[in-house]
Amino acid sequence: MNILMPQLGETVAEGTVAAWHKRVGDTVEKNELLLDVETDKAATEVPAPISGVLEKVLVEAGQTVEVGAVLAVISAPGERPEAGSPGFDPGAEHIELTGESDAADEPTLITPINLSSSQDRLRLSPVVRRLIAEHQLDPHTIEGSGRDGRITREDVLAAIEHPSSVAPAEKLADSDGDTVLEPRPPLAPEPSAAFAVRSEQPADRVEPEGGRIAFDRIRRVTAEHMVRSKATSAHVLQAVEVDFAKVEQVRLAARERWRRERGYSLTYLPFIARAACLAIKEFPRINASVDGDGLLVHSGIHLSVAVALDLEGLVAPVIRNAGDLTVSGLAQQIHELGRRAREGKLAADDLSGGTYTLTNNGSYGTLLTAPIINQPQVAILSVDAIRKQPVVIEGPGGDAIGIRPVGILAQSFDHRAIDGAYSGAFLARVRSLLETKDWAAEL
Amino acid sequence: MAELTYREAVSAGIAQEMRRDDTVVFLGEDVAAAGGVFKATVGLLEEFGPERVRDTPISEQAIVGAAMGAAMTGLRPIAEIMFSDFFAVCWDLVANQIAKTRYMTDGQCSLPLVIRSANGGGSRFGAQHSQSVENWAMAIPGLKVVAPSTPADVKGLLAAAVRDPDPVMFFEQKSLYATKGEVPDGEHVEELGKARIVRSGDDVTIVALAAMVPKAVQAAATLEAEHGISATVIDVRSLVPLDTLTILEAVGRTGRLVTVEENPRLCGWGAEIASIVAEEIFWDLDGPIVRVTTPHIPLPSADALEDAVLPSAARIVEAVRRLVD
Repeated sequence: MNILMPQLGETVAEGTVAAWHKRVGDTVEKNELLLDVETDKAATEVPAPISGVLEKVLVEAGQTVEVGAVLAVISAPGERPEAGSPGFDPGAEHIELTGESDAADEPTLITPINLSSSQDRLRLSPVVRRLIAEHQLDPHTIEGSGRDGRITREDVLAAIEHPSSVAPAEKLADSDGDTVLEPRPPLAPEPSAAFAVRSEQPADRVEPEGGRIAFDRIRRVTAEHMVRSKATSAHVLQAVEVDFAKVEQVRLAARERWRRERGYSLTYLPFIARAACLAIKEFPRINASVDGDGLLVHSGIHLSVAVALDLEGLVAPVIRNAGDLTVSGLAQQIHELGRRAREGKLAADDLSGGTYTLTNNGSYGTLLTAPIINQPQVAILSVDAIRKQPVVIEGPGGDAIGIRPVGILAQSFDHRAIDGAYSGAFLARVRSLLETKDWAAEL
Repeated sequence: MAELTYREAVSAGIAQEMRRDDTVVFLGEDVAAAGGVFKATVGLLEEFGPERVRDTPISEQAIVGAAMGAAMTGLRPIAEIMFSDFFAVCWDLVANQIAKTRYMTDGQCSLPLVIRSANGGGSRFGAQHSQSVENWAMAIPGLKVVAPSTPADVKGLLAAAVRDPDPVMFFEQKSLYATKGEVPDGEHVEELGKARIVRSGDDVTIVALAAMVPKAVQAAATLEAEHGISATVIDVRSLVPLDTLTILEAVGRTGRLVTVEENPRLCGWGAEIASIVAEEIFWDLDGPIVRVTTPHIPLPSADALEDAVLPSAARIVEAVRRLVD
C-alpha cells in the first residue's frame, strides 16, 4: 500500500515530512505512529493505515511534496510489491493518474466514487459536482428528482440540510487498495473552490499592460484565509473613540530613556495590547473560538499581532501568555516578533495558536479599519491613527475644550459567538483602562 | 406617467432631445412630411422645422454618410434606416468608417450619432424586410447596440443614445410599435449597458431582447401557473455594452439559463452570453445552457410559416420544462 501525503486542511496544497518514526525494513502495526508531517498551518502525526513492513521511504525528512504524493510503501504480510508499480518509482513525487500502471495500484486520490466507469456513470451537472465535492458527499446516496433520476442542485442542497439520509464519502473508501488519510479530496473542482482565489487563468487571457503578478505563498495563504474567514464568520464592526492623554503622558516621559536603553521606540501598541489583555480577563468570550455549535473559551491569552512585511505581505505571529505581561514585556515581544517576521526568521510555532488579534494600521494615518477575523478566533482589534483633536472635557467647573490625542479602536467580532452588547462592553472596558489606568506603574 | 405606444415613444424621445440640444438633427426617408412609414416620427417636422428634420432621397448610403459628416462637424444626428435589412448597403460606412473613426484619429474625432431602424419579423414583410440583425451590429467593434422592449425604454434609451459621444445602433422592433406602456413624464433618460430584471424567480433565468421580452414574460407566467416553475426574466436592452454582472448574478442564483433570440441561430447574441456564462460561472450551472432562436434560415413570407419559425411563448415554455425537469 502506498502512503500518501495527507490533505491536512482545505487550503493546504503541500506538506513537509518532519520525521520518520520507522525505518525501511521495520515492521509496523496498524495505527502505530509512522511519520510526522508539517504544513504551513499545522504539524500532525500520521499513523500507519495497515500492519506490515515498511518497504520503501520515498520522501525523506525535510522534503516538501504536494498533497497526494507517495511518501512510502508498506507491504502487508504475504504481499510483496511488484516492480513497476507507482510506489516503486523512486523519482515519483506526483501521482500520474494518466499512467498505464495497473489500476489496482493507483493511489486513490481523486475519489472513491468512480465517475468514469461506464457501469454506474452518473450525469452530474457542474454545480452538483461542486456541491458534492465541497460537502464530501457520495452522489450514489442522493435521491435524484430530475429526469431519469438526475440529481439536481436542489437534491444536493436537501441532502446537505438533512445529512442523516446521506452517508459521507469517507465511509466508502477503505476497500480500495490505497488509503487516503482524511479529509478526503473531492471530485472536482478544488475543495475550497468557493473560497479559493481563482488562481488558474485561461492561458490565452490577455495580460494588462501592468503585467500579472503571480501570488507567492504568503499571498495565496492570506487570500484563502481572508475569503474563508468572511464566509465562515458573521462579521460585525464596532468602534470606540479613545482619549490617549494618560498613555501619552507616560509614553512621552519614558520615550527618550526607552529609545536609549532598548534601541526602539515606545509606541501606543503595547499599551493597547495590555488594555485588551486586561479587559479579556473580564470578558473571556472575546478570547475564544467557535467549535461546531459551541464556543471554546481559552484560559490563556495568546495575542496574534499582525505585522506587515514591507507592503508585500502580512503575518500574525503570536505572543504566548500575553495576559501575564506588562506594557514593558509586551513592547519587547512585539518588537522581537516584528523584527523576526521582517527577517523571515519566524518559526511555525510563532504563527499558530493565537486566541485574539491586534492589527495596527495607524502609521498610514487611517481613521478606521474594518479588520477580517483571524480564524478560528472570534474577534480582532484594529488600531488606527492617533491624532490630536479638539475634545470636550467635562470637569467640575463645567465643560471645556482641550487638545487630546484621540484614536479609534475598531473591533470585528463574530456574531455567531457573541453579541454586540458583549463586544461593546469589552470595548468600553478597553477604553476606560486606556483613559484611566496608572500606566507609569507598567514600565 | 402617461401611457404611450412604442411608436409614440420614438417621437417623444427624439423631441425631448431636440428641444434640449439645438445640435440634434434628424434625417431619413419619409421621416418628415410623412411622419415615417411606421408613423413613429409624426409631429417632429411641425415642431422643429425642415432645417432640423429632413426627408432624404432613397439612398441609405447618403443618409448614413450625411450623418457621419454632420457628426464630424459638430452636430448630433439621428439617422433613420427604414428597415434594418437595409443596413447591408450601409455597412461600409457603418462598419469601416463610423465604427473606426474615433480609434483611427486617436480620439480626435468622435462620432456622436444614432442610427435608428425598424428591426425584426412578425409583420409578414418577407425575407428582405423582417430580419433581426442586431447580431450583425454586435459583431463590429466600435458600435454600441441597443434594442428596447418597452415604450419607456424607447424614450429613455434613445435619449441616452443621443447623449452618448459615440455611434449607437438603435433597433426598434416593428412588431412592438403598436404596444402600449407607461412612460415617465418629463425628461426621461436611461443608462446604456444596464439590463433590466423584469421578474424574479428561482428555477431558471430567461434572457431576452426586444420583442422576445414580452414572449418570455408570457412564458414565465405559464411556467409558474401550470408547471410550478419560477423564472427570472432579464431584458438585456443593450448588447454592447453588455450587463454581464446582472446576467451572471441571476444565472448563478438559478443555475439555469435559457436565451430567447429572434436573430438566426448561428452566431446569435445568445451564443455570446452562453459563452460568457460557461466561462465565468460553469460551476454554478445545474444544466445545459439552452438557446431558443429563429432557425438559420431566411424568414418565410407566409404567415403560418413565419409564426412557426419565430420563437414563441410556447417554445420557451417547452424549452424551460425540458431543462428544469
